[in-house]
Amino acid sequence: MLAASIGLLLTSGLILYLLRPERRAWAGWLAALPPLAVTVWQVDVSAASVFGWGAAAKPSLLDLQNGAIQAERYNWVESLGMVLSFRLDGLSLLFGLIITGIGAVVALYTHYYLENDERQGYFYLSLFAFMASMLGIVWADNLLTLFVFWEGTSVTSYLLIGYSHQSAAARGGARNAFIITAAGGLALLVGLILLGQEAGSYTISAIISRPGLTDSPLYPAILILILLGAFTKSAQFPFHWWLPGAMAAPTPASAYLHSATMVKAGIYLLARLHPALSDSPLWLWALLVCGGITMLLGAVIAIRHWDMKALLAYATVSQLGILTTLLAFRSEAALLAVVAGVLAHALYKGPLFLVAGIVDHATGSRDLRRLAGLWRALPLTSAVAIFAGLSMAGFPPLFGFVTKEALLEGFLKAGEHGDAAGWVALGAAVIAGAFAVAYSLTLLWEAFLRPDVADDQGDAPLTPAGRLRAQGVQVHHAPAAPFVAAPLVLVACGTVAPFVLQPLAALITPAAAAIYGGPVQKYVALWHGFTPALLLSLFAIALGVGLFLNRSFLRRALNLLPDGLRGVVLFQNILDGIYALGQITARFSQGYTLATQVAIVLLAAFVPVVAALRYIPLNALMPAKEPSLGAPETILVLLTVVSAYVTVRARTRLGAIISLGVVGVTVTLFYIFFSAPDLALTQLLIEVLTLVLLVLVFTKLPPDTRPPMQRIKQARTILVALAAGAFGFFLVLFNSSEAMQAAQSISGYFLENAVPGGHGANVVNVILVDFRGFDTMGEITVLALAALGGYALLHAPRVHLPDEKQSRRLRAQGGSAIAGGSPAIADPAKEEMEEEPTNLSANSG
Amino acid sequence: MPELYLRLLNRILTPVLLLLALFLLLRGHNLPGGGFIAGLMAASAFELQILSRGHETVRQAIGPYLNSAIGLGLGVAICSGIAGLLEGTFFKGVWVNLRLPLLGQVDIGTPLLFDLGVFLIVVSVTTFYLLGLSRASDGAISQLSGAVADAPFDADSVGEGEAATGVAPRGRAES
Repeated sequence: MLAASIGLLLTSGLILYLLRPERRAWAGWLAALPPLAVTVWQVDVSAASVFGWGAAAKPSLLDLQNGAIQAERYNWVESLGMVLSFRLDGLSLLFGLIITGIGAVVALYTHYYLENDERQGYFYLSLFAFMASMLGIVWADNLLTLFVFWEGTSVTSYLLIGYSHQSAAARGGARNAFIITAAGGLALLVGLILLGQEAGSYTISAIISRPGLTDSPLYPAILILILLGAFTKSAQFPFHWWLPGAMAAPTPASAYLHSATMVKAGIYLLARLHPALSDSPLWLWALLVCGGITMLLGAVIAIRHWDMKALLAYATVSQLGILTTLLAFRSEAALLAVVAGVLAHALYKGPLFLVAGIVDHATGSRDLRRLAGLWRALPLTSAVAIFAGLSMAGFPPLFGFVTKEALLEGFLKAGEHGDAAGWVALGAAVIAGAFAVAYSLTLLWEAFLRPDVADDQGDAPLTPAGRLRAQGVQVHHAPAAPFVAAPLVLVACGTVAPFVLQPLAALITPAAAAIYGGPVQKYVALWHGFTPALLLSLFAIALGVGLFLNRSFLRRALNLLPDGLRGVVLFQNILDGIYALGQITARFSQGYTLATQVAIVLLAAFVPVVAALRYIPLNALMPAKEPSLGAPETILVLLTVVSAYVTVRARTRLGAIISLGVVGVTVTLFYIFFSAPDLALTQLLIEVLTLVLLVLVFTKLPPDTRPPMQRIKQARTILVALAAGAFGFFLVLFNSSEAMQAAQSISGYFLENAVPGGHGANVVNVILVDFRGFDTMGEITVLALAALGGYALLHAPRVHLPDEKQSRRLRAQGGSAIAGGSPAIADPAKEEMEEEPTNLSANSG
Repeated sequence: MPELYLRLLNRILTPVLLLLALFLLLRGHNLPGGGFIAGLMAASAFELQILSRGHETVRQAIGPYLNSAIGLGLGVAICSGIAGLLEGTFFKGVWVNLRLPLLGQVDIGTPLLFDLGVFLIVVSVTTFYLLGLSRASDGAISQLSGAVADAPFDADSVGEGEAATGVAPRGRAES
């Protein structure tokens, strides 16, 4: 059923795409159904074991900590031991419920957000593919299965961010996000393979129950590579900046991918592998430092931004930093706080993003400088925002408060155990918490509650034109009821949660136990009594209110930071450098006439052979058999040499083309002599096609009137030709040498197995389509791509138009230098012929 | 008009060449032939058409299908690989022995399907290049020999006009 659920989401995305959802009023409800069904199924399948419903037995948490609710396994590539295996346990269940539950809400919301957008179906297709990949990550029980779905989320996230592909911001954000997450994905792949090899198994449940991985000499490499994957995905410092850039995505995608689910994939991975990898100082400090910096950086920068989505994005970065920092520790309290934090964050940040989308939709702006008093026009939306925002700030008695208590408790406990890291994290968390209060209040006050735009923030540095516009915006488009209902449902869940913590513990505790790797006795609670955590929490709120009141000063101070420090700018510089390097390489290797380019390619092949020949004694190159040269071969060789010579010396193009054809045909005859009919056929056909093409092109051109080649150029060309000939000669010689003939050849295997194994008597063809099918697959893919490249080249401006001055000079020469023929055009013709290659490469570069 | 003979030849030869291509494709697994060779053979049939009737006519006839045929070829090839999953792993050959009315016992398997994909890609990529190059050479030639600007050079219309017709003789900026 696990694989079937993933399949259901994939197919329903396709069905929605085909249904043209933008034309149907009920499409939003229909889209919400599949994720809802998967949610219900998850609750149903775990009802007895987790929630203790229906079944006679009480929920047995202890069984669950290492047991699975459901597991499945499918063969994928049997010979490589690759399997698709899925496993539902406490942690997977929690993440799975978040993914499908919020997914259902977002699917409903999307229809109203993208109303009348004719690419809505495409958005649904990408969204559901993403949902399926995300479920694959959290349900995977095999490292490689996990990786495949991990990459799936990178690709679908790219498509979703770049949805409005007309906008440069969307394209840039999508590209940056993809490069960063895909680079992290590559590191992760290596890390996972090392981990699998070291642990002796790719099954995750087997790896995490295996002790002693941290003692392996490969452990640091494994850890760093996996952390690179997780940190890039979860936007941890120093990769945090792609997440705000990804906010160019349509709001449903931002809410779903970039706050509720995808950015949690890194957190999930760290949590999943926590039992196996966390018992080392390296783990502790890597997560503590990166997570701590991320948490502070995000929280401080968030308040600087006027765009609601940018503010929320940095707030998300900060939250992810907190989760990473918590995962650095191994105490029950910290891990419990992780699980509660993930759930709470999804339940308040998701709705806040959705609200930002509604505001954008209704007023046409998300700029805090232009919004004010929205509670009058959008009362229900504002209520949602206020509940979610106060939860984000951590005000009691909301869910955010509970999780903040839990995390402070976690850090305190670590500190009390004499762990210096605990105190560091505690300090950072209190500061981040204070800033969270400040940015939450800023968001709520400025957008929803303050009576007027120009109340107390007169310092907003708007351009004069912007100030004219900043008279406040009007709500011109009242949101439809289901549009607001979507975030309302999530906020309602989040608001109720603190009062039903007892039943909710059935969901949270097994998940924490899965991270902890053993039974967890603690529970999160709304009221612990007057603990130090509560006092710290209240202190953070007080500090945050103070920051909120001084926000104009904060903003001014933060705006003084130089632009060059921003991650995006640094990254863009690196990218520009890579592009520049590519251009230099292209100019170096391809910036000349065709003849020179060919020479470069041939010499590049020749040099390694010469280098390799130094290691081979020349007498070892002698052929194994005494070569016997019969009359036919001799005639053919002579014919080839003569026709090649004629080609070079030909006076007319047609003559050269024909003698070149003769060379080709003699080579074909060689193939026939040595009984290779398939090669001969192919060679002959290629020969015919190129010959006809050349005739087609060249005979129509005016006669070649260029002066004979310069001596030095001639000599250079002859040298290159000799080198290329020597290359071929030595290659054949080497292949027929005694050593090579004695080495075990694969041809015997092919000959024996072609008929029984490949069902074909034509060994060449059986090799192409069966034995070496993968190679052929690669070749035809390259061929198809070559067609794409050709399309670009042939549709580019083909022939360089000389500019005014140049063409006048040419015409002046043309009149005098050329006698006979058609003087007016002959010279430009020559010029075009010489210039074209340079020109083409300039275009393609 | 030398193309007259070519047209006559084309009438007779093109169907023969296409049939030959089909024949080579089908027998490829046991006798010389196969997807690559059959693809080239079919492409040479189209080349004959281009020579005799001009590339515009051929483009109108088969041009719209070329890009789709490339995609289709890749799709067919990948599907034949996926079919191998039924037998356990990607690209594993799956064979069925069929008794067909005229041919008798025939082995049919996914490698043959794969060969079909190869054929589709080779024929469409080659024809695509033949069409593109003959158009490009036409354009270049008409630019070179069509000589000096009848029509004034208009920077804005060049890109579009070329993309649409491809043969629009490009005038040289005169004054």
